[in-house]
Amino acid sequence: MREEMVVASSLSVTFEQHKVLDGVSFKVGEGEVFALLGGNGAGKSTALKSFLGTVTPSGGSASVMGLSVASQIDVIRQKVAYLPESVMLYGHLTGVENIEYFLSLAGITSAKDKIESALKRVALQQDAWYRSLSNYSKGMRQKTAIALALLREAPVLFLDEPTSGLDPSAIDEFNQLITTLASEGSTIFMVSHDVYGACQIAHRIGLLDKGKIVGMFEREGDNPIDTEAVHASFSKRNG
Amino acid sequence: MISFSDLKREAAFLSKQRYVVFFLLVALALSIFSVWSGVAETRAQIDTIERLLEKDAIDREDALSKQSDYGSAAYYSFHLTYSEPSPMAFAAMGQRDIYPWKHRVRMLAIEGQIYETDADNPELSFLGRFDFAFLISVLLPLFVILLLHDLRSSEREAGRFDLLIVTAKEEKQLWLSRALTMSLALALVLLIPFLIGVLVTGASATEIGLMLLVVLGHLGLWTIITLFIGNPKRSSSQSSARIASRLLAVWLLFTVLIPVGSDTVINELVESPSGGEIVLTQREAVNDAWDVPFSETWRAFLATHPEWESKTSMNSQFEWKWYYAFQQVGDQKAAELSHGYREATQQKDTVASIVALFSPPMLTQRLMSSIAGTNISSSLAYEQRVRDYHASLRSFYYPLLFNDGEFSHQALSGMPIFGESQANEAESSD
Repeated sequence: MREEMVVASSLSVTFEQHKVLDGVSFKVGEGEVFALLGGNGAGKSTALKSFLGTVTPSGGSASVMGLSVASQIDVIRQKVAYLPESVMLYGHLTGVENIEYFLSLAGITSAKDKIESALKRVALQQDAWYRSLSNYSKGMRQKTAIALALLREAPVLFLDEPTSGLDPSAIDEFNQLITTLASEGSTIFMVSHDVYGACQIAHRIGLLDKGKIVGMFEREGDNPIDTEAVHASFSKRNG
Repeated sequence: MISFSDLKREAAFLSKQRYVVFFLLVALALSIFSVWSGVAETRAQIDTIERLLEKDAIDREDALSKQSDYGSAAYYSFHLTYSEPSPMAFAAMGQRDIYPWKHRVRMLAIEGQIYETDADNPELSFLGRFDFAFLISVLLPLFVILLLHDLRSSEREAGRFDLLIVTAKEEKQLWLSRALTMSLALALVLLIPFLIGVLVTGASATEIGLMLLVVLGHLGLWTIITLFIGNPKRSSSQSSARIASRLLAVWLLFTVLIPVGSDTVINELVESPSGGEIVLTQREAVNDAWDVPFSETWRAFLATHPEWESKTSMNSQFEWKWYYAFQQVGDQKAAELSHGYREATQQKDTVASIVALFSPPMLTQRLMSSIAGTNISSSLAYEQRVRDYHASLRSFYYPLLFNDGEFSHQALSGMPIFGESQANEAESSD
């Protein structure tokens, strides 16, 4: 039995009397890639943010590595890495300086060569490492943030629409990286629109609609999850 | 708990933000200007006093050498009185811009001589001088607001907020270390010119310590106000512009509305005679004295100086002792108004000190003026020193005038000089 790293238990979130999440429950085990799919406004990002403590649940509970988000968020934040949908780092700093700054915020001092090897691993072109981030494309910023997540060596990664805006080759590189990280024991919780990409890398997929889990798909053996089945269910819900 | 490494990290981060560096350089330039202009002004005042003192002595000696009686000697000799700026006055010119700091007096009626002088620059009494106290009390809150109002909201607007708080070891530590670094940087650029200023003027360690406490206290207060109003729990959906507007409204209330409003109300509530009324009353009394019987003047004079009762007989229609007696009576007639004026000034100052408790900028300015010895009390104390000196002149001349002794220049050598006894009195009264 794999350790339960991310657990939602009857999780509900209400914004101004509107239920964005309605009693959602799921568990993500160690080394697992779990993708939450859904259309716009389904509540995916809200679910993810419930684990980061940036959204306060109105009911149920969320926990990470056995720690309650409600009471131990500061401890949780030291054990997780987060990749936002739109990575906005500091434009006046270079890629390396951004990573150094964010690592320092986390209380981590990392040698330059370690940062450079992380940037190499995420395939950010070398001539951009010491260039101001204001000249980076969205994909380059995404890669910088992934390098930051890698350097934090966090056991759990929360990814919000990680491939949105990336070109096809960058998506392939990203998927490969996620698969490798999972095989090394990292737990990945991602929310996405991208049915195909999620099916390629996720061990399990939860389908979210109007704040409720309406379907759960699981990989069988080494085969990717059946894209068509997920897509059919997804399309049915999202017209 | 914020560590040194947190501050070091944020300092390195801020030093790469061009607008912050530019802003701090502007604050530094304003601080340099305020200190420089304050030092230049106090230097100019000291130079003026020294120059006048020199000329005053020569002028008096020249006037006295031409006289052959004590009445003319008293009439034609002027005496410079002055209030030297303290070594800290450069930082807070306070009431020195409004009340006179020098009077050249004669042995005539004194009240008119004190109140006939208008302020050197009446506009300054309205606008205030751009001195260090103005920078700290009025502009420092704006600097803090500009630097810190969007501490969190700018990160939210830039889409970095969640990444920052999820990455930071402790969220509070992140914002506090940023705010503290910016506040310390601001304190540094504002205080370095001030500290150079005190080195130049030679202020005491106690005065420097008190001034630093006031500046850092005001800075700390506005940092707290700004962080409180910009708190995401209170303003998660608010834009930087909205937070800035709220803070500017608070600044306007504390810096403009309360001081100006209270000034208007205090002036309405506390009745005070004007300086002009005092001058007019005293002059009318002196001018009328030429037309009233001698006995009337002597009666009023002897009421306060009975020791000269046996010396009031006159051999002609004009005698100097009678002339100076009606000058004295002129002062006596204006005494009540003059006393009322000072009482009202003190009363207004007391009420203003209570109102200042509700306006941090006003309180800061008052505290700085108080430390620099440029507040209302200091101005009134100088006025009193002028009166005391004038009284000592009368005490010196009256025996010479009333005893009808032979005129001798030698007898005038014991004439009191302002700044000798008055300086000591000032020290002991402080």
